[in-house]
Amino acid sequence: MKKTLLLSAAILLTPTWVMAETLKEAFETHRAMYGKDHTFTWQGKEYSTNHPEELEARVEPTQGNATALLELAKAENKKAASVGYEWKLTRGLLKNAEAAIKEGEYQRALNLAAQAKYHARIGIEQHAYAEKNWQLSVPQ
Amino acid sequence: MKIIKTLSLGVGLMAVAQFTTAAGAGNTIETVDPEADRMALQNFYKKRFPDTELDDYVNGIYSVDAASRAQWEELEEFPPYEFAVEEGERLFNEPFANGKTYASCFANDGVGIRQNYPYWNKQEGTVKTLEMEINECREKNGEKPLKWGKGEIARISAYMAWTSRDNVFDIKIPEDDPRALAAYLEGKKFFYSKRGQLNLSCANCHLQGSNVRIRADLPSPALGHVSHFPVFRSKWGELGTLHRRYKGCHKDSRSKPQEMQSDIYRNLEYFQTYMSNGLVVNGPGARK
Repeated sequence: MKKTLLLSAAILLTPTWVMAETLKEAFETHRAMYGKDHTFTWQGKEYSTNHPEELEARVEPTQGNATALLELAKAENKKAASVGYEWKLTRGLLKNAEAAIKEGEYQRALNLAAQAKYHARIGIEQHAYAEKNWQLSVPQ
Repeated sequence: MKIIKTLSLGVGLMAVAQFTTAAGAGNTIETVDPEADRMALQNFYKKRFPDTELDDYVNGIYSVDAASRAQWEELEEFPPYEFAVEEGERLFNEPFANGKTYASCFANDGVGIRQNYPYWNKQEGTVKTLEMEINECREKNGEKPLKWGKGEIARISAYMAWTSRDNVFDIKIPEDDPRALAAYLEGKKFFYSKRGQLNLSCANCHLQGSNVRIRADLPSPALGHVSHFPVFRSKWGELGTLHRRYKGCHKDSRSKPQEMQSDIYRNLEYFQTYMSNGLVVNGPGARK
């Protein structure tokens, strides 16, 4: 009887333990389902589905702010490139952001720079993940 | 007490299993075993495509997809690379301004040597590819180097591959220089690492995804990948080198590709060619 109970408990509890959702997973699920500007609850706390870069772009659209975010995006992309994880479209986004500043379209520049910074940040995260896990798909 | 013992044993077994998997993956310079990697890759494909003979993997996707193979066999009746090979032979034998030819730079006068590339050069501490040595030969003889991806370099390389057809790849990783094994490991790591906006590794398409449709394309198996280069790709409408293809593939994952003949692409070629040891050179090839 005891054994059966233990076995049932183990079967019931194991998936919960294995499947426990991380904040990152919860964020990605809600982002995919609802897009930006949505609020979700994870472990009793409220979070938004906005990427940090989207929040960085929500400043007054001035030349100074656009230039500052563009510089941050360039620096982040340089870091991604230094580890070999620069994405294909990022330089184009940076170039377009630069052009938008010249044309006086500061909000567009902020959005483009934010997107480029996001690309670079995820590229760097991808590199960190690959460093730890690349061997998982090697046939044994 | 018995329960605690059983639970401890279970947890212990799980931990050991994790440790064994990590050690078996050969992801460090201490644990990497190229021969074990090669056998594991072959076994992967034996299970994945049990009807395909090992020797046939030099034919890429045509070794595992009958419909593609039928089209390719018709194409091979009038090989699209034929004129390029003839042109490559002419270029290979054409004297430089100093009167010497490419033959002066290579073993066996450059004939039938494709299967020995890439190789580890201990003196220079780097992987040397055939295309790299074609350009070094030019510079040594006072000529300007050629562009890496296509044109003359691909034609000369194609002619050299042609003279090496049916020779068996036998890439060595010298044990007396740990840097060679490190270069192999770097190539292996690149092959299995996910990258780019699409988060894809070479292995995603060419192991798990081989012969699985990506839109209208069927990715080829990784085994035998290098044997038929340079290739005449219908998409290109001309011959191209292996590193041109690497660049294109890398870009397809929405990464910013590395430069042709960069350290990392040469290490990748070293790893991939070692994986094809025992298979024959059948370059140049024709691909979609």
